Amino acid sequence: MTREFTSSDCGFMELALNQAKLAMSNLEVPVGCVIVEDGKIIASGSNRTNETRNATRHAEMEAIDFLLEQWQKNELSHLDIAERFSRCVLYVTCEPCIMCAAALSSLGIREVVYGCANDKFGGCGSILSMHESTEHLTRSRQGKGFVSHGGLMALEAVDLFRGFYEQGNPNAPKPHRPCRISQETV
Amino acid sequence: MVWEIVHVPDKVPGLEESTVNVLASNVEPKLANTIMRQLSLVAPLENLRHVKRIRRKPTTGKSELSIVLCPSFGNENELGSIPDDVQKLINDYHLSPFTAKVYKYAATSKEEWEEQCKLWPTSYHPMVNVNCVTGFSEEDSQWIISCMKTTLKLAKLNHFGDQGLNAALIVDPACRQLIASAVDQTPVTLESFFHENGGDEAENFGRLFQVYTSDESAEALSSVSCLQPWSWPQQCPQDLSWHPLKHAPVVAIESSAARDRQLFPLHDLNPSISFPSKRQRTEIPQVLTRPYLCTGFDIYLAWEPCAMCAMALVHQRVRRIFFAFPNPNAGALGSVHRLQGERSLNHHYSVFRVSAS
Repeated sequence: MTREFTSSDCGFMELALNQAKLAMSNLEVPVGCVIVEDGKIIASGSNRTNETRNATRHAEMEAIDFLLEQWQKNELSHLDIAERFSRCVLYVTCEPCIMCAAALSSLGIREVVYGCANDKFGGCGSILSMHESTEHLTRSRQGKGFVSHGGLMALEAVDLFRGFYEQGNPNAPKPHRPCRISQETV
Repeated sequence: MVWEIVHVPDKVPGLEESTVNVLASNVEPKLANTIMRQLSLVAPLENLRHVKRIRRKPTTGKSELSIVLCPSFGNENELGSIPDDVQKLINDYHLSPFTAKVYKYAATSKEEWEEQCKLWPTSYHPMVNVNCVTGFSEEDSQWIISCMKTTLKLAKLNHFGDQGLNAALIVDPACRQLIASAVDQTPVTLESFFHENGGDEAENFGRLFQVYTSDESAEALSSVSCLQPWSWPQQCPQDLSWHPLKHAPVVAIESSAARDRQLFPLHDLNPSISFPSKRQRTEIPQVLTRPYLCTGFDIYLAWEPCAMCAMALVHQRVRRIFFAFPNPNAGALGSVHRLQGERSLNHHYSVFRVSAS
């Protein structure tokens, strides 16, 4: 889905790209994100899968965990936390993977704006559509889903991946396959 | 009690791909035995051993018997060529052949078997204790079942089905070592790993499967994160560190990553690090090789994971997933999604369901 992006959208994505560059400088797959609530950035995250040796530590998870920690420190209740997430927009350089999209749906985030599509793992339409509402199902307590828009500054995001895979992923298992120019491991 | 280990396929094959045509004929009940004996000599069902030769269809008053003559070599609406020996039987007993459909492969679950029998009866053998479709030896099966028993104990299930948490056990099957264990929200340590064999546990496990495999129980179990990924705002936290995304598989992955960082502090993947031998008696020092994430490891789960957890297990490169109870609300290994069949993913695990009855 595409929409008209505003200059503030571009500004937020610019900052997500900076987070991706930060990941790259730490020899991580370059993905970054920011979370915006009522027009203000309240969290940022960059991919830390190599450093933590935990392949689930994607940029989105880093930002989400930062927020949860903050909000719990402030003794917000579960309902308060859910209400805060429902006001948040995530800007991320690459389409969230199936895991992150499912997590974002479970948290009840309002909207996701991403850069390039993720044609191997994408959970916002590319492979699965975890952003869609599951309320049509008869089961109780299903997710509302969230709005998802792709294509904002996608070329910049892809350029970062290209740069990363050209230099080679030093943390890939050895002997690893020859370096390819593609979007991987996001 | 019978334990079963059943492969959960990557794809649900359509009826067309999963069936094959055979030539069949109605027979007089009196002649059925004689004809069957002769057929098994001249036309044994080599590749369809699971297919029952005779079908008994209850019709008004008496039952009607049909028999599989041989595989059909023709198209849908023609009989095709019939082997001479079979043709002779047809002539001798005045049979009138027709084309029937049977399932190509043996059923891997009771449900599948029941479905198959609607078309033409097949035989079904639960896979434990025999080395068949799933390919597990007797010893491996016993190990898998004992891992699952430990997982179910960890999940703190009771026979009323109104409590419980998802539980996760990551193990290295090569050296039969525990890597990490967790329940929803928290890592747990296991003191008595694989040393548990209670006397009356047989009945208990069977009862648990009765309780926890019904759809109603999945609705009611609000404490199991993977069953109700969206219901966390309504839950009462036990403590402040409660986290809406800390489902048991995610916590277990985090623990295995922490173990990796602790055992192999250097970031180098290739060189193995040798540890001083703990047992003085063994002369060979233990050499540990750093695995890449969870490559080669298996995970045991009480419940089929949700999409978030199933994808997390793809990312962490888990080799096999064994789960006990299906997750009709949000399961991503066959119930709602089927991640093991998404070809675009860069890693694929095998999925098995372990159950007791």
